[in-house]
Amino acid sequence: MERMTGTDFSEWLRGRSDERLRALVAARPELVTPVPAHIDGLAARACSPSAIGRALDRLDRFSLAVLETLALRPGAAGRETLSSLLRRAVPGDRDDETLGRALDAALDVLTTRALVYGPGDALLPAPGVTDALEPPAALGPPAAEVFRHHSPERLDVLLRDIDPAGEGGSGGEQPDGGRPAGERLAALLADPATVARLVGEVSPQARAALDELVWGPSSGRLPNARREVDAASAHSPIEQLLARGLLGATGEETVALPREVALVLRDGRVHRDLSPGPPALEGPVRDQDLADRTAAGQAFTFVRTVEDLCEVWSVDPPGVLRAGGLAVRDLRRTAQLLDLPEWAAGLVVEVAHAAGLVAAGEGEWLPTGGYDGWRIKATEDRWAVLAVAWAAMERAPGLIGERDDRDRPLNALHPDLRRPGAAQMRARMLAVLESAPPGLAPTPESVLARLAWEQPRRRPALRDRLVRFALREAEHIGVTGLGVPATHGRAVARGDGTAAGLLAPLLPEPVDHVLLQADLTAVAPGPLTTDLGRRLALTADVESKGGATVYRFSEQSVRRALDAGHSADDLLAVLERHSATPVPQPLRYLVADVARRHGRIRVGTASAYIRCDDPALLDEVLADKRAHLLRLRRLAPTVLASKTSRAALVDSLRAMGYAPVAESLEGDVVVARADARRTEGQLAARVTASNAPDPEVIDAAVRAMRAGDSRRRPVEAPEGQVPRSPATATISALQEAIRQGSRVWIGYLDSQGHATSRILEPARMEGGYLTAYDETRATVHRFALHRITGIAEIGR
Amino acid sequence: MSDGPLIVQSDKTLLLEVDHPRAGECRKAIAPFAELERAPEHVHTYRVTPLALWNARAAGHDAEQVVDALIGFSRYPVPHALLVDVAETMARYGRLRLEKHPVHGLVLTSIDRAVLEEVLRSKKIQPLVGERHGADMVAVHPSERGNVKQTLLKLGWPAEDLAGYVDGEHHPIDLREDGWSLRPYQKEAADAFWHGGSGVVVLPCGAGKTIVGAAAMAHASATTLILVTNTVSAHQWKQELIKRTSLTEDEIGEYTGTKKEIRPVTIATYQVMTTRRQGTYRHLELFDARDWGLVVYDEVHLLPAPIFRMTADLQARRRIGLTATLVREDGREGDVFSLIGPKRYDAPWKEMENQGYIAPAECVEVRVTLGDDERLAYAMAESDERYRFCSTTPAKTRVTEALVRLHADEQVLVIGQYIDQLDELGEHLNAPVIKGETRVKERERLFQAFRDKEIRVLVVSKVANFSIDLPEAAVAIQVSGTFGSRQEEAQRLGRVLRPKADGGGARFYSVVSRDTVDQEFAAHRQRFLAEQGYAYHIIDADDVGEEDPAR
Repeated sequence: MERMTGTDFSEWLRGRSDERLRALVAARPELVTPVPAHIDGLAARACSPSAIGRALDRLDRFSLAVLETLALRPGAAGRETLSSLLRRAVPGDRDDETLGRALDAALDVLTTRALVYGPGDALLPAPGVTDALEPPAALGPPAAEVFRHHSPERLDVLLRDIDPAGEGGSGGEQPDGGRPAGERLAALLADPATVARLVGEVSPQARAALDELVWGPSSGRLPNARREVDAASAHSPIEQLLARGLLGATGEETVALPREVALVLRDGRVHRDLSPGPPALEGPVRDQDLADRTAAGQAFTFVRTVEDLCEVWSVDPPGVLRAGGLAVRDLRRTAQLLDLPEWAAGLVVEVAHAAGLVAAGEGEWLPTGGYDGWRIKATEDRWAVLAVAWAAMERAPGLIGERDDRDRPLNALHPDLRRPGAAQMRARMLAVLESAPPGLAPTPESVLARLAWEQPRRRPALRDRLVRFALREAEHIGVTGLGVPATHGRAVARGDGTAAGLLAPLLPEPVDHVLLQADLTAVAPGPLTTDLGRRLALTADVESKGGATVYRFSEQSVRRALDAGHSADDLLAVLERHSATPVPQPLRYLVADVARRHGRIRVGTASAYIRCDDPALLDEVLADKRAHLLRLRRLAPTVLASKTSRAALVDSLRAMGYAPVAESLEGDVVVARADARRTEGQLAARVTASNAPDPEVIDAAVRAMRAGDSRRRPVEAPEGQVPRSPATATISALQEAIRQGSRVWIGYLDSQGHATSRILEPARMEGGYLTAYDETRATVHRFALHRITGIAEIGR
Repeated sequence: MSDGPLIVQSDKTLLLEVDHPRAGECRKAIAPFAELERAPEHVHTYRVTPLALWNARAAGHDAEQVVDALIGFSRYPVPHALLVDVAETMARYGRLRLEKHPVHGLVLTSIDRAVLEEVLRSKKIQPLVGERHGADMVAVHPSERGNVKQTLLKLGWPAEDLAGYVDGEHHPIDLREDGWSLRPYQKEAADAFWHGGSGVVVLPCGAGKTIVGAAAMAHASATTLILVTNTVSAHQWKQELIKRTSLTEDEIGEYTGTKKEIRPVTIATYQVMTTRRQGTYRHLELFDARDWGLVVYDEVHLLPAPIFRMTADLQARRRIGLTATLVREDGREGDVFSLIGPKRYDAPWKEMENQGYIAPAECVEVRVTLGDDERLAYAMAESDERYRFCSTTPAKTRVTEALVRLHADEQVLVIGQYIDQLDELGEHLNAPVIKGETRVKERERLFQAFRDKEIRVLVVSKVANFSIDLPEAAVAIQVSGTFGSRQEEAQRLGRVLRPKADGGGARFYSVVSRDTVDQEFAAHRQRFLAEQGYAYHIIDADDVGEEDPAR
């Protein structure tokens, strides 16, 4: 019946406005990759099982229920019919208006996506939809299907038991207008009165068994399912059902409830407890301001933790495992250093990597050059970078430490942590959180329920676990606080770039003073202004971090500041200027005491020295003009130091006519601290808001299909060859054409290397390819830029 | 943005700005679940540790209160992870309970079956428990009560001990408040202990811990075993008990190296209890000698490890621990928690000082410079000799003399570690010296003379450090001492912190050799004292009128 309407569907599609077609392509982008040649092609593709499957996956539970209801009805149905059918499935006294609005919205979605077609009063599921829905609403197979493999004798027995009064009985003969037994059986089972009578005949246990199957799953296992039973010989409850056709054997060991019976028993409803709207998010309600502040506190901590990680790794980087990733031991050590549980450390590492702050280089995990740029940004901007990177991460850090199929541990930063769809899942979860009313802390269960309602057919592997991971991660990153989506966290979900701005006022403001105490600590009651922070970091050691920073002065730290060229008076002056309290006496004493001893012993560098017991000989060397180049300096009457190397010094002295002997380097130790290291690292993955195709491409695709449809003759390419033009000119001309929406004439080498000539309407250029509507072929095509030999303008 | 007085750090320390108008209110709110770690002049540091949180749980506070206090007083947003951590840690206390079951006797029960399963899987717990009674209950042999608690704490699931106590042998003890009365905080401390059943009372030195002990005994009115650090301390407990309570001399026995009396109230030293001969503790039977109704542990922070093991067997008896600090040098704070009991009372030193119960002290570090010869000798000394060498320099003797001259009309204690140095000081200062070999009688005579102001200057070695009572020492001068340990500082400060009749401030000098290991130790001391909130100054030897030979 539906299959016959394939052309109807095509015609319906052809009759849609361009705007509706564009909406269809935007909602189901897979229909135009590649672009079909004409509307018939589009219709065929839209009815292909895979395309319908993908479209069904995107439906929410209510829209799906509408479609199932429609598909189960024989023939076309109008909105009113559907509405009355659905109303029965909605529990409680839900007002018709809500249901009506939901139904209209669902029908709009379904027709837009070409899953339902036809005029408003005679809607039909698109060809192929009914098959793709199988089994709809957890119903069993139709009776015809269930009893197909029953022998005629068996069917006769059944018919006799079901309808003793009927004319049935003699096998082979078909008194009922020649209808086969199977069909008669199906017709009987679809009759509510018959089914009610049959159900009335069986024992209560049998009825209970039936009730179990009504709302699915509609089949069960039963040994020796194909047993020969009739109403008289039936003993067990199941046999009573089998004898009356209320159950049928679908295999040697399986029985199923025929669809017709289930529909009768469902009392005319297709669905149970259908909700026209998504389930509400549930959870405790908290103060939104408090939640924002808590989330901000966590955000601040998270940013600092990432910074700590990068600082630690820049001097002491862990190795990259041969298979990629970070060793379990290294993760554990990192977790200890950051004072975090391992899962949280794994998250920090993964997010830092996703944000492009750390990468593998020279066999080690090192901070990238990008880290240096990130570090100097304001805290809120740094957080936004991390939060966005987290949201777009196609990885599941929550799985770190678990074992894969081959029982190998899943390591942080390992390629195996990739879970395609993770980012989409996180985005959907964030969207759900974004929709939560202010102050509500949705429970994981209600978030999962909402996600399940939104896409009931799509259950990617591990969905529930991934969502729980993501919720935990959101809390740790500071997207939520006390379980409540924070205002800045909602901005991340929207992806509108306002997150940093919303977060900024919640973060501690920089302060320009410290409190100095007699136990030689300085407490900065907030993040310090950059200059003061640097001065203090030089003069004192950080002891504790958080909202405030506690610095401790020690002999070593003061000496470090003196070494850096500050004088004791300098230090005290800075402290006095920035201290909210008087400088304590022990601190003054400490600075003075360290300064007293500082610099009493002097150390310099010399590459080599000259030693001689006779000072007069050294006088002679020093006086020699040729010795100037050696940059000699007298340290003691019998010792000269030189900046040149020992070998050079020996050579030079020999050249000057002396006979020096080189001394061994005993006790000479060169200590060089390795510099903080960096690696190049790949750029962080670019975040695209969605993978929906560009409007221009959609536009071009619809135009192409229309063109193909109207059998518009492809435009003849102008005679002759396009003049060759340099690549840069080609590209700029194409850009200009995209901007103006104008047509161009190009020369193109096709895949066989033949020079062809095309008239194009360029739509988009990226990754070395041009997407354009090819008027000479009446199709949308992708052209490799390097094969375009030349370009010329063409008059409109 | 709120402007609360508290800043929560990510390492779970809390910084409290003391000059903030809401600081007092805040201190009260956070004191139950955070240990005061440092109390210098402007910003006090509290630390939230699992033990502190469990102490709070034991005192009846819940996670909600803790979280409210943190959020309510915090100036900046409190990281969520920290709040979660607090709530999770607190939720671990009391999931398991030790209870007395009418049929099965002592049992470990759980309101969370998973937790019980988890701990019962532990190899350490298995040998300590007996038969399983149902899903939520397992028998525990009474003798393992302490071990079970200790082990559960290590596993991170501290058990609440609701199994109750034996009453012990009744013995009437009353406080005799004639001419004195319990200070309010002493009464609070004793009451808090009694309601909690067992536990530790933390009071600063000089705040009258002995009296809290006596009040606890009056509550119990039962035979009591008192464990103290040394013989002198045992004497003092005895004197104090005779003075403050209805107990007579005949009712109090001393169980020390010399005497072995077992009476209704028996005072034993840790030393004698931990004496071993041929590998066995010879005086263990003391614990079973009577049906003790109360065990008092003086100076809990010094409780030696064997006493912990013995205490594990005493879990059915009420126990009170008295100490100035819960911090133990050996880090066994957890054992104090599980075996003696949670903290029942705590009073901040500074606050008591403000109320006039203990005297304010000023700490002065005097730096002397070694002579050139000494410096050379010091540089060449073996590393294990260096401390002795620099801390016994003759320059210190001269400075000490100058300090004693400076405080000519005050009672002065000179404290040191090395006998030679102390003898030399005694000679120079013309003062008696108390050291390890001084007989107890002689010691007590000298202490009494010092108390009576017959002697103005007393030179004491380490032995005088613990649990003695020198009420009128206004000045203490420390010339050498063991490696700046925190307890020792608390003790020494306790010496001079006693309230004085004239209300004058006490002074604590430490004489330190510049540029030596002595100065490094002094740095620890400085930090500790400043963290306790004491005024601390550093001066040079010439500032006390001593001519510095090095200059």
